[in-house]
Amino acid sequence: MTPGLGHKLKEALLAIVGPEGFSEALIDMVSYSGDASEHSHRPQAAVWPRNAQEVAAILSLANQERLPVVPRGAGTGLAGAVVPVRGGLVMDLARMNRIREISLADRLVVVEPGVVFAQLQTALAPSGFSFPPDPASGKVATLGGNVATNAGGLQGAKYGVTRDYVLGLEVALADGSLMRTGSRCMKSVSGYDLTGLMVGSEGTLGVVTEITLKVVPKPPLSATASASFGDLRQAGDAIRQIMSSRFTPSVLEILDAECIKVLNRHAGQSLPEAAAMVLAEADGYTEQETDLQIRQITQAFAENDAQNIALAQSPEEAQQFWAARKAIGGTLFSLNNTMLAEDVTVPLSKVTDMLVGIGETARRNGVLIATLGHLGDGNLHPNLIIDGRDPDQLARAHRAAAELFALAVELGGTLTGEHGIGLAKASFMPLEHDETAMRMMRQIKRTFDPHDILNPGKMGL
Amino acid sequence: MQLSSEFRENFEEQILQCSQCGFCQAVCPLFAVSLRPAFNARGKMMVLKEALRGKLALDEQVLDSIFQCTACANCSHHCPSGVDVPGIVKAARREMSRTGSCHPAFTGLSQVLAQHGNIYAEEDPPEFQRLLNQPAEYVYFAGCVGNYREEEASETVLDLLDRLELNYSLIDEVCCGGVLEDMGLQAVAALAQANLERILATGARTVITGCPYCARTFLERPEYQPLRDQGIQVLVLSQLLAQLELPVTTDQRVTYHDPCDLGRHCGIYREPRQVIAKIAPDFVELAHNRDQALCCGAGGGMRGAYPKNSLAVARRRLEEVEQSGAEVLLTDCNSCVHNLRNAKLRKQKIQIYTLAEYIGRLLEGAS
Ligand SMILES: Cc1cc2nc3c(=O)[nH]c(=O)nc-3n(C[C@H](O)[C@H](O)[C@H](O)COP(=O)(O)OP(=O)(O)OC[C@H]3O[C@@H](n4cnc5c(N)ncnc54)[C@H](O)[C@@H]3O)c2cc1C
Repeated sequence: MTPGLGHKLKEALLAIVGPEGFSEALIDMVSYSGDASEHSHRPQAAVWPRNAQEVAAILSLANQERLPVVPRGAGTGLAGAVVPVRGGLVMDLARMNRIREISLADRLVVVEPGVVFAQLQTALAPSGFSFPPDPASGKVATLGGNVATNAGGLQGAKYGVTRDYVLGLEVALADGSLMRTGSRCMKSVSGYDLTGLMVGSEGTLGVVTEITLKVVPKPPLSATASASFGDLRQAGDAIRQIMSSRFTPSVLEILDAECIKVLNRHAGQSLPEAAAMVLAEADGYTEQETDLQIRQITQAFAENDAQNIALAQSPEEAQQFWAARKAIGGTLFSLNNTMLAEDVTVPLSKVTDMLVGIGETARRNGVLIATLGHLGDGNLHPNLIIDGRDPDQLARAHRAAAELFALAVELGGTLTGEHGIGLAKASFMPLEHDETAMRMMRQIKRTFDPHDILNPGKMGL
Repeated sequence: MQLSSEFRENFEEQILQCSQCGFCQAVCPLFAVSLRPAFNARGKMMVLKEALRGKLALDEQVLDSIFQCTACANCSHHCPSGVDVPGIVKAARREMSRTGSCHPAFTGLSQVLAQHGNIYAEEDPPEFQRLLNQPAEYVYFAGCVGNYREEEASETVLDLLDRLELNYSLIDEVCCGGVLEDMGLQAVAALAQANLERILATGARTVITGCPYCARTFLERPEYQPLRDQGIQVLVLSQLLAQLELPVTTDQRVTYHDPCDLGRHCGIYREPRQVIAKIAPDFVELAHNRDQALCCGAGGGMRGAYPKNSLAVARRRLEEVEQSGAEVLLTDCNSCVHNLRNAKLRKQKIQIYTLAEYIGRLLEGAS
């Protein structure tokens, strides 16, 4: 049981946000105790600020009182980054949810952090523009959360991740000051890249109160192809050929044998059983353009002994191809009560080695691991599916995850391509980062947050 | 407070199945109006997980989470993990009511129903001046809202049925009793007993209800098994009207609100639209329609227990109606109509009717 805040502190917070913006109610403490990971801890209180000034005032007070503050978006994180492990305040930014500006002339939008990803996409849709990193959680996750975790999506290979679109930020710092970073320009080398530092910092350096995002036109056409492979090595070779061609697919996804089995058994699909199924999309402005690209891809499939190579003949047929990929997330979730959704990422040329290693890890530890992945950017999602009530299964899953992290790093990869470190991977940070890098990260944290009030206990800092 | 073994046996697996992805937040009408994750399905499941682990008690402190839900089922409909949220919420309410932590708006509801036979504790049933408890092909069952809150609308509907020369009788109806189970309260056997006896006594082969919730109760609850055993059909009005010639049309631009009880809960989307196609060529869909429809905010006891948020949910639906440009909002549920009418702002010029009431009015105007 976490104790409540003292009377004085509570009064001071109420003076900033008013009774409508503060809660100590049990149901709020419980709902703010976790995210989509297995981690949980209740905060002592929650605040719903409405503007940057309130955010700054809360931080200033918390800093004086040494009260932990955890900024929160939609709580869809998969790494426990938003779990208030040391109690304190959860600062829910949901009420700061206005799109302040859409300027196509400047190719940018200015939003508050609580704007949901899908809300921005809907607002942009009529213009044909978009903010491309589309996390699968985009209907719920907030842009503040996307920035703080450097979220990515299916189109990473061609269109990059959140970082590539953040032009500038307003950030409330631990001492209560407000800082502007970046600019409204497409380029700027003026001073240190504080914007870049904030992106992916998981609420440990400041609270993002405004985001200026670059938006880009969305090509209206796309072509889709799929194929299955009897052997992971062949799939790997096909991908190598595609990625070293002169074209970048807008999407290149893989589903492994476990995913295929699960979809056939539990989601009414009838996919050919194989070592892997690969789905590719090429986008463009004319049919000639998409056609040219997709044929390169199907040729690479054919030259590497793929089976069941299919090219969608209509948008409806393309939808059918994607149905399997769309269904997999939910289907995996419904298999058991606990899923560790990992996101190790490796250099493109090492994808096959990682996939083979995942299979071996699963067998060695006796854990069901179903893997999908964004091949175009080397980001793999091995999903470890277990009954979390069984301590033995849980222990084996954690051991398997640790082995996957080690393998990824050994292959020159990284612990996480998009979900972040949070609590889940905090203890593995030194595996990837050398001592000097860890020291510099700790120094940066101390410079921004000397009293360790901002999302403390995260990222192994 | 100890959770019952029945609750654990039947619901622990389901509750643990919630992966806390939070996708329900995108579709929860209560989250939309409150931005408070505690009210959303994930918040409720987190409370129940803690209860299962003995970390909290299901008592007054969690009332606003467990009892604040319209049972619209949009969450379970979109749940990647397939969690039956309305079923779990109902069971959790049962646990709370069992241990004396029922929501104060509903404590005593069983007694009210046992005594008065309707949820509003009204003394005098409406007098519709129609055949009552007589042999007929159809029974028309208006439901509590139709009898005690939307009486005029019911009168218009009965006029319509008369014009269509339907051979029907009313019965001395009492509340269908469905609401009790939704609030986690003991069913009152006498209610179902009374309705059953009176329906069966008419010899009718079909019961038409003014309320999809009553229809669901008749179709799903064990107390009403005898209806099913005897092959008696239960229809809502739009299902009946879809089968009939309707001698009237309108130029008004109309739209349709899918009631959660009829749509997501029963999968009935086609018939109301068939009816509208017969009478109103200028029809527009709302942005969220069919299984994606937004809730009117009335269900699950919300209107009684949390009127402010209930109306806020309804206002959100009305905003969408305004955006559609429709002059008339049609639906097939008295309860939806009632809440949406209450929520309508003066400046909103939308007319709100059940399909049957609207057609009845058109006919009255035409004659
Ligand atoms: C089913 C599912 C699918 C997913 N798919 C993807 C995917 O395809 N790609 C992907 O990248 N991720 C994915 N995720 C993970 C998650 O959705 C992303 O990490 C997302 O960016 C988190 O946003 P949020 O608003 O939920 O943030 P939260 O979970 O609330 O917070 C995440 C982190 O951001 C910090 N934070 C939030 N707002 C602010 C702010 N304003 N200022 C400072 N710090 C802040 C928090 O403190 C925390 O450290 C998925 C998750 C689920 C459950």
